[in-house]
Amino acid sequence: MIKAAGLTIWLAVAIGSTGQPVVGQPVGIVVESATMAAGQPMPRDHSPDGRNESPPLAWRGLPAGTRQLAVICEDHGAGNPPPWVHWIIYNIPPGASGLPQGIPFDPADPMPRGLERARQGNNGWGLAMYRGPAPPPGTVHEYEFTVLALDTELDLPAGLTRAELLEAIEGHVIGRGNLVATYARMPAAAGIQ
Amino acid sequence: MKRDQTVDPAAHAGLSRRDLLKVAGAAGAAALAPTALTASAAQPAAPVPLPVVPVARAAGPLMNLTAAETEILSAMVDRLIPSDELGPGALEAGALRFIDRALSEAESQSADAYRAGLAALDRYSRYSRGAAFAELPVRDQDSVLIDVQTGAATGAGTGFDGSSAGFFNMVRDHTWQGTFGDPQYGGNAGFIGWDLIRYPGVRLRVTDEEQRMLEAEELEPARRSAYDFGQFQTGRPAPSERGR
Repeated sequence: MIKAAGLTIWLAVAIGSTGQPVVGQPVGIVVESATMAAGQPMPRDHSPDGRNESPPLAWRGLPAGTRQLAVICEDHGAGNPPPWVHWIIYNIPPGASGLPQGIPFDPADPMPRGLERARQGNNGWGLAMYRGPAPPPGTVHEYEFTVLALDTELDLPAGLTRAELLEAIEGHVIGRGNLVATYARMPAAAGIQ
Repeated sequence: MKRDQTVDPAAHAGLSRRDLLKVAGAAGAAALAPTALTASAAQPAAPVPLPVVPVARAAGPLMNLTAAETEILSAMVDRLIPSDELGPGALEAGALRFIDRALSEAESQSADAYRAGLAALDRYSRYSRGAAFAELPVRDQDSVLIDVQTGAATGAGTGFDGSSAGFFNMVRDHTWQGTFGDPQYGGNAGFIGWDLIRYPGVRLRVTDEEQRMLEAEELEPARRSAYDFGQFQTGRPAPSERGR
């Protein structure tokens, strides 16, 4: 069950590192999750305190003319320079209404049905997979899951960096929405053996 | 939240873990195999071919680690360079025995880091994935190791001394050495590592025909330790003299 509606942000500026305006006005997409709520801590199973699986995402309100989707998860309070990228996935078909939990991290494993052509880009560790939040102990960070609707169908290879993806999709972003969740480390109890 | 960045972004894109390790292993062997093709000016001694030892995964009791520690390290080494359709992996190459011996000799200063790191790895596995590391499915073992490799396991409070990436890098490096190094040092049993990366082997001379065959990937591996040649001495009996 969807727990909470995501934040919808209307921006005339893309998230690209170039800061260049996106052509046209992106249409707001509602981004939701069965395990995460906007502004709330995400479960530890989406972090290295747990199974470190990518969270399930769902979206609606895609603009007419959407031909492909991409998703980026990043922490704007980390990285030098920010943001620190936790996950990039693209080549998502427009018929997909979301992503299931636990997208495979090993390229040898098949992608879920309907997402066979989706590919994952390189995160901040240089790994083409999801790796969840691991902020310094005692701090709370925010993690933005951004869904981008594109007006073109691309066949991008795995392993693109955030900058490479944004360059590839520049001028093709016609919709955008996000969900921002938080996380703080949950250290093991001293009794863990 | 920037932490240790211990991975090679370019190398990993689109590659499986094993692909990555094999690429790295090829470079490692070139560094570890002494003089190899560059020693053509030396006077060749009569090389003694080494027997190909049977592939075996069982290491038996180790000298420097407990049975529990051995089980954890064995599982980790097995995931770093697994046995698969391309051939045997690090366990079959004797990397575990190599590490154990190194902890008595050249790497004796690392023994405490091994014990602490293996304990922290197992605690982290139990905390984050709900089972001992050696008991996890291989996909979960890989996920755990990625968290250890990136340093993300550090903040889980399971006892890593400094960044978990330091422990991962230490074990990875020793596993590579025990798989792709010269058999003289106790690993690379049966030249498994060199065969895995198609290293043609130590040679003191290379004929034009051998060079042509090498470039055509037709050259049979030499299957000899550098120390089977008289020019190289370590003070330790050559593998062929140790009844390997």
